[in-house]
Amino acid sequence: MKKLTALLLTACLAVGLTACSGSSADTESTDSQETEAAEETADAEETASAETTEERTTFTVGFDAEYPPYGYMDENGEYVGFDLDLAQAVCDLRGWELIKTPINWDTKDMELNSGNIDCIWNGFTMNGREGEYTFSVPYVDNRQVIVTAEDSGINTLEDLAGRIVGVQTASAALDVLQSEDYADLTSSFGTLQEFGDYNNAFVELQAGAIDAIAMDIGVAQYQLESRGEGFKMLEEPLNSEQYAIAFKLGNEELKDQVEESLMELVNNGTFQSLAEEYGIEEFICLTPDSDASAEAEDAAAEDTAAEGTEDTAEAAETEE
Amino acid sequence: MKLLEMNHVRKAFDGTEVLKDISLSVSEGEVVSIIGPSGSGKSTLLRCATLLETMDGGELVYMGERAAWNDASGNTVYEKPAKLKHIRSYYSLVFQNFNLFPHYSVLKNITDAPLIVQKREKEEVYQEARTLLAKMGLENRENAYPCELSGGQQQRVSIARALAMNPKILFFDEPTSALDPELTLEILKVIRDLAKEKMTMVIVTHEMNFAREVSNRMIFMDKGVIVEETTPEEMFRSTNERTREFLGRYHDLG
Amino acid sequence: MSFEMMLVQLAQGMVKSLGIFMWTLVISLPLGLLVAFGRMSKNPVLRTIIKLYISIMRGTPLMLQLLVVFYGPYYLFGLQIGGSYRFIAILIGFGINYAAYFAEIYRSGIESMPLGQYEAARILGYSRGQTFFRIILPQVIKRILPSVTNEVITLVKDTSLAFALVYMEMFTIAKQIAAANTTMMPFVIAGVFYYIFNLLVAVIMEWFEKKLSYYR
Repeated sequence: MKKLTALLLTACLAVGLTACSGSSADTESTDSQETEAAEETADAEETASAETTEERTTFTVGFDAEYPPYGYMDENGEYVGFDLDLAQAVCDLRGWELIKTPINWDTKDMELNSGNIDCIWNGFTMNGREGEYTFSVPYVDNRQVIVTAEDSGINTLEDLAGRIVGVQTASAALDVLQSEDYADLTSSFGTLQEFGDYNNAFVELQAGAIDAIAMDIGVAQYQLESRGEGFKMLEEPLNSEQYAIAFKLGNEELKDQVEESLMELVNNGTFQSLAEEYGIEEFICLTPDSDASAEAEDAAAEDTAAEGTEDTAEAAETEE
Repeated sequence: MKLLEMNHVRKAFDGTEVLKDISLSVSEGEVVSIIGPSGSGKSTLLRCATLLETMDGGELVYMGERAAWNDASGNTVYEKPAKLKHIRSYYSLVFQNFNLFPHYSVLKNITDAPLIVQKREKEEVYQEARTLLAKMGLENRENAYPCELSGGQQQRVSIARALAMNPKILFFDEPTSALDPELTLEILKVIRDLAKEKMTMVIVTHEMNFAREVSNRMIFMDKGVIVEETTPEEMFRSTNERTREFLGRYHDLG
Repeated sequence: MSFEMMLVQLAQGMVKSLGIFMWTLVISLPLGLLVAFGRMSKNPVLRTIIKLYISIMRGTPLMLQLLVVFYGPYYLFGLQIGGSYRFIAILIGFGINYAAYFAEIYRSGIESMPLGQYEAARILGYSRGQTFFRIILPQVIKRILPSVTNEVITLVKDTSLAFALVYMEMFTIAKQIAAANTTMMPFVIAGVFYYIFNLLVAVIMEWFEKKLSYYR
């Protein structure tokens, strides 16, 4: 989808330019030029990353500013959140200046590829996207859950049959629902309704325009806490997955640096206390002295369904 | 010396010949009236003389300076723009619809071109403009805007505007056609006064009695040619059939 | 977030919106005049190009144009776009879009001028430039003022489209505050701000129209 958009944009501009020059463009020469340009870019990137090893002074994090508790605007109009505070701690360790750049979730790939941002660090689900980005170790175990009105009569995933289910555009929850494994469930819905932000979605839920919303559990907890009575979260999760920091594909160097500092924060307890501050301590999946790379491999290898059940059980125990 | 000479002027619009080999000259101090039915080409002749329209063939000379001439194949060639700009300063034109600048006051309508185009002294230009306004009987209206004036007053302002450029020759393109009869008289009086001052003028008009009274020479045009060119007295005693028919029609109407 | 804080935050966004608004006018009003000249040019190639440009600007969503301007340089030429390009892209996007609309308004105004005004100026010896700037343009401005007012009011509301590039103008901030505080209040406040903004625009434009009403 993203690639299609990019292609369309390019095509539009190209048509415009060709029309302007008033000459029929020589396809061959254009192709070779493009290849050259691509090679040049690649070269430039190599040089750039080589330079940044020594000279990096800033670290630009792209995030969705409408995604509490991971990234949002606080009481004072400052951008905060678990992920942003963590990024700040990493920058403090490395002596970088953190630049917080709010992005549109729809255009995150363009922002990352064009070099506007160094990484996407904002409750970003790695599962299913492994080939598209260079990911850090997963740091949060996330679940996609269903939130619905208390009196909706929906208690299990089966009850969603024939109902209107809302899900954020370009979100992990949407990816899950559109994946083959969930085809049966999704086709049982009356409608799968995409929306732009959670605020609108919750108003629609209250107004009865949609019956349920699929979202990340951390977000669900934040929403339910701040909205008070009237909503509930189904105990049965849709799935389980991991959050990781996404870097431009191939940017191992920056990933390693950030990961190294991240593990330092885990070992000195900063990571855990930040998680408590934002109420997501149940979901974090990095522990002191755990080997980052081993953890990553484990996570990838493990059966997600099994882990999901485990986590649910744990969560249920905690609640009791 | 001839102020204006037009020789063998030809002009066609979309293949229809409007002017067919017309020649005309005007000497200093002369008042020439051009009469004729609508579509006779008299307005087009005036527009060719004032460079608002280009001629297809023929020669145009002001004060002995050529503005346009025929090339070897008989088509009109015009002078370079800089030279034409200079030649334009020899004449001015009063339009049927006044064409005053609505966003300028009366005074600014008169003074703007002398100041901007001729780059003359401000004080001198203003003084002259006020003298002209007084002559037109508009001394109290210098701060008014054209929309606040009657048609006759507007036409008097436009005559003052033309005179402020100190032209050697002044063209009138049916100056009273857009006016009520009582307002027409105001304008005719102004032109009559100018004639007394020996202002060289070429007037396209439908006011036969006025033309007869004010002109030294009258030109009757029909279907793109000059039918008759003579003194007013001769014109009104003409034995030419077309002239008699045209003038007769006017007498019947009058 | 307290109500006062919301007001402060949104007011800061309002300043950014105002910035987009002002810069867009500064860019597109003169640019529109140039485009109008191109549109009325005797050169058929130039005329056709400008016609195509206007038709694209008017025929595609402004939001899409903003995305093309912002991401186009990277996807087309592989250029790395820095953070400061965000605002520049917004100005380019809004500037060329509004220039197209203003060009058509200018054109309609210029073409509605009676030929007699040009002829009078020519007889009086004004150059082409003098004729346009002293005689024609002032009258054109009076004629097109109501259409321009319409466009300017639309522009106030269109500044909110900068959220597509997550520029921190009022609407983007309203969305973010709304998300963090799970409330619709910021949108209500933003709506009131936009309304007041446009009320001011209407008053100012009315004052201009009145100032130009000394002649018909």
